[in-house]
Amino acid sequence: MNLNNRKILIVEDDKQIRNFISYSLDQEGFAYVTSGAGQGALSILLSDQIDIMLLDLGLPDLDGMEVIKKVREWSELPIIVVSARDQDKEKAAALDLGADDYLTKPFSATELLARIRVALRHLNQHNGPDKAQNHLQAGDLQIDFEKRLVYLENQEVHVTPMEYSLLTLFFKNMGKVLTTRQILTEIWGIHYGNDTQALRALMAGLRRKIEKNPAKPRYIITEIGVGYRLVDE
Amino acid sequence: MNFFKNAPENGKGIQDHYSAMAPFLIRMSIMFSFLLGASLIGYSFKALQLQETNIAIVYLLAVLLTARYTGGYLFGFWVSLFAAFIFNFLFMEPYYTFSVNTPNYIITFTIMAITAFITSTLTTHAKQNALRAREREEEAKALYSLTNRLTDAADIPEIADIAASAVCEMLNCRVGCVCFDESGKPDEAFSRQFSPKNGTPEEAASQKSFFDWLISGRDSTLGVIRIPMDDAKRMTPTQTRLLQGMIENTALAMDRFHASEQRRKTNEAIVQERYRGNLLQAISHDLRTPLTGIMGTAEMLLTMTGKDDNRYDLIKEIYGDADWLHSLVENILSLTRLHEGKLVLHKQEEAGEEVIGAAVHHVLHLHPEHDIWVTAPEELLLIPMDAKLIRQVLINLLDNAIKHTKPEQEIQVSLKKENSGNFAVFSVCDHGEGIDASDISNIFQMFYTSASRRNDVKLGVGLGLTICEAIVKAHGGEIKARNRENGPGAEFIFTLPLKENFHESK
Repeated sequence: MNLNNRKILIVEDDKQIRNFISYSLDQEGFAYVTSGAGQGALSILLSDQIDIMLLDLGLPDLDGMEVIKKVREWSELPIIVVSARDQDKEKAAALDLGADDYLTKPFSATELLARIRVALRHLNQHNGPDKAQNHLQAGDLQIDFEKRLVYLENQEVHVTPMEYSLLTLFFKNMGKVLTTRQILTEIWGIHYGNDTQALRALMAGLRRKIEKNPAKPRYIITEIGVGYRLVDE
Repeated sequence: MNFFKNAPENGKGIQDHYSAMAPFLIRMSIMFSFLLGASLIGYSFKALQLQETNIAIVYLLAVLLTARYTGGYLFGFWVSLFAAFIFNFLFMEPYYTFSVNTPNYIITFTIMAITAFITSTLTTHAKQNALRAREREEEAKALYSLTNRLTDAADIPEIADIAASAVCEMLNCRVGCVCFDESGKPDEAFSRQFSPKNGTPEEAASQKSFFDWLISGRDSTLGVIRIPMDDAKRMTPTQTRLLQGMIENTALAMDRFHASEQRRKTNEAIVQERYRGNLLQAISHDLRTPLTGIMGTAEMLLTMTGKDDNRYDLIKEIYGDADWLHSLVENILSLTRLHEGKLVLHKQEEAGEEVIGAAVHHVLHLHPEHDIWVTAPEELLLIPMDAKLIRQVLINLLDNAIKHTKPEQEIQVSLKKENSGNFAVFSVCDHGEGIDASDISNIFQMFYTSASRRNDVKLGVGLGLTICEAIVKAHGGEIKARNRENGPGAEFIFTLPLKENFHESK
C-alpha cells in the first residue's frame, strides 16, 4: 500500500475506542494523531498536515456537524464519521454536509481499514498526476468512459443514459457511500432532492442488468437510511 | 337514583309549621283585639260626626291586620264575616241589630264583606309566599354551606363527617353515614355517627329500625345515610327535599375525590413506568461503550495472537460474549423504545428487495460461512415501510435461522406479492432443527426461551422475535411461525400492507 506518509487524525472521546483505532492504524503503518474533542481537532487540522480525519459524531464539546462545516470551509480532506447505532439521521446529514463515509459502532478493524483504503484511493487520485482514467473496474463489472460502454464479465451490457450516468457516479466514487440526496442531485438536478421513488426504480432496473440476483447484490449495495455504495472488493 | 321510594308520607306542610307556632287561642285573641280596636275607633269617628264609609274602611284595615298576624285562609274568612256583621250591628241603622234599613247598607255590607275576604286572602297568600321564600332561602343557605365545607374536605371520612353532621343539624336526630370502598362494599372504617345535641343516651340504645338513603355516584353506590325510622317518618317534604339536595352534594364530593385519587394514581404509575424505562435505557446506553471497547480490544488481541496459540480461542470467546451482550443491549433498547411508543415509524415507499439485500448483506458479513438464498419478484415491489425497522426484523429472523442451522444447511428469504394484491409477504425459512411444537404458540413472547434447547448452545434472551412481532404489528401486518411442510426446518412469514390504510385485522 502506497502510504506516502499519510497522517490520520482520530477524533474520538472514548479512550478505549481511540486506543483500538490507533492500534489498528499503527499495525498498518499509518501515522496518526488523536484528539478527544472537536475544538482540539480543529486546532490540530490548522497546525498539522492531516490527510484523513476520523470524526466521532457524539463529541462532548462541539457538534460533529459543526466540525464538518468548519473544516469544509477550507479543506477537502476525507472525513469518515463514526456514529452510534441509532444516529441514523446524523449519519446522512453528515454525509450531505461533506463527510465522505461512515462507520457504525461497534466496527471491526477490517471495516475501519477498508474505509480508510477507499478514502486514500480517492485522495491519491485527486492529488496524483491528473491522468483521466478511461477505464475502471470493480470485480467483473467494467466501465469504459471513452466508449461510454459497460461490460459485465466481458460482455457488453446495454444501459440507458441515466443508468450510465449512475454507474459513472458510482465508479468515480468507488467504495464510498453516496447518499440518496447526492445521487439525486447529481443525476436529476438540484431540485429533485426528495424523489426517492425515481431513484429506487432506476436502481432496480440497473440491478436487473448487472446483478446475478438483484435482491442479493454484489456490486451496488443498499445502505438503509443513508444511500448506496459500489463495492470493489 | 330513586331513593325516595319509601319516604314517609306527610301532607300538612306549611300549615303544620304554623300550627306549632301559633296556637288557636292566640289567633282568636288577635282577631278580637283588632275587631275591638276597629270598633272603638269607629265610635270615635261617630262622635266626630265622620261618615260611615270611613268606619267601614277602618274595619277593612282590621281585617287586613288580622290576616297578616294570624294567617290561614280560614281565619281570614271568619274575620271578614265578623267585621261585616259587627259593622252592621254597631254602625248601620237600625243600630244594634243585624238587619238593614236601606238598600245602601245592603250594598255596603256585601261589598265590605267581599273586599274583606279578598284582602284577607291576598294577605295570607303574600304571607305564605314570603314564608316559603324564606324557607327556600334557608334551604339554599344550608346546601351552600354544606357544599362549601365539602369542597374543603381532604378525604372520604371527612366528607362523611360533614354530610352526617349537616343532616343531623337539619333533622335534629341521630344520623349515621357509611361509606363504601372502591369495590362497592361497606367499609367499616368509614362510618360516622352524629347525634343531636339534646339527645338522651337511652335513645341511642333503643333504635331498632333505620331508614337508609343511598349516596349514588356516577358509576356506583358510594355510601349510605342512615336515620332512625321514627325520625324518618316525621320528615316534612321540605326536609326530604333538602336531604336529597345534601345527599346529591355529598355524592358529588365523593365522586370528585375518587376521580382525583384515580388521576393521582395513574400519574404515579406513569411516572414510575417512565422512570423504569429511562433507567433501563440509561443502563443499556452506558453498557454500549464499554462493550464496544471490549470487542475492539479483543479483536486487537486476536490479531496479535497466533491461531495455534492456546489463548486464541479464549480471546475468541471474549469477543463472542461481548458481541452477544451487545446484541442483547441493542434489543433491550429497541424494545424499551417500542414500549414507550417512542419508536416512531417513518414510513416511506421502499423497495422490498433492497431491504432484504441490506439485511442479508449484514448477516453474511458476520457469518460468512453460511449461505442465504434470496428470491424476489421480477417487478420492483414498493412497500410503505420503515426500512430500518423491517431490516431489523429480517436480521433478527436470519440470526434466529443461523442459530438453529449448520453452515451447510440452506437458509432462504423470499418476497412476493400476495394474491389479492393487498400485502407483501416475506418469508425466512431454514433447513435446521425446526421449532418444537410446544414452543410455536409462545415463540414471540418476551423473554420466552424454549425449554427443550440443547444446553451447550448459547441462548438468546428471547427478545429478538418479540421485537419482530412488535415492529410488524406496528406496520399493520402479521407474523407467524411454523415448521416447514416439506421437510425439517422452520419458516417465519410476515406480511406488510401495501396500501397505507389497509391493516390486517381479524
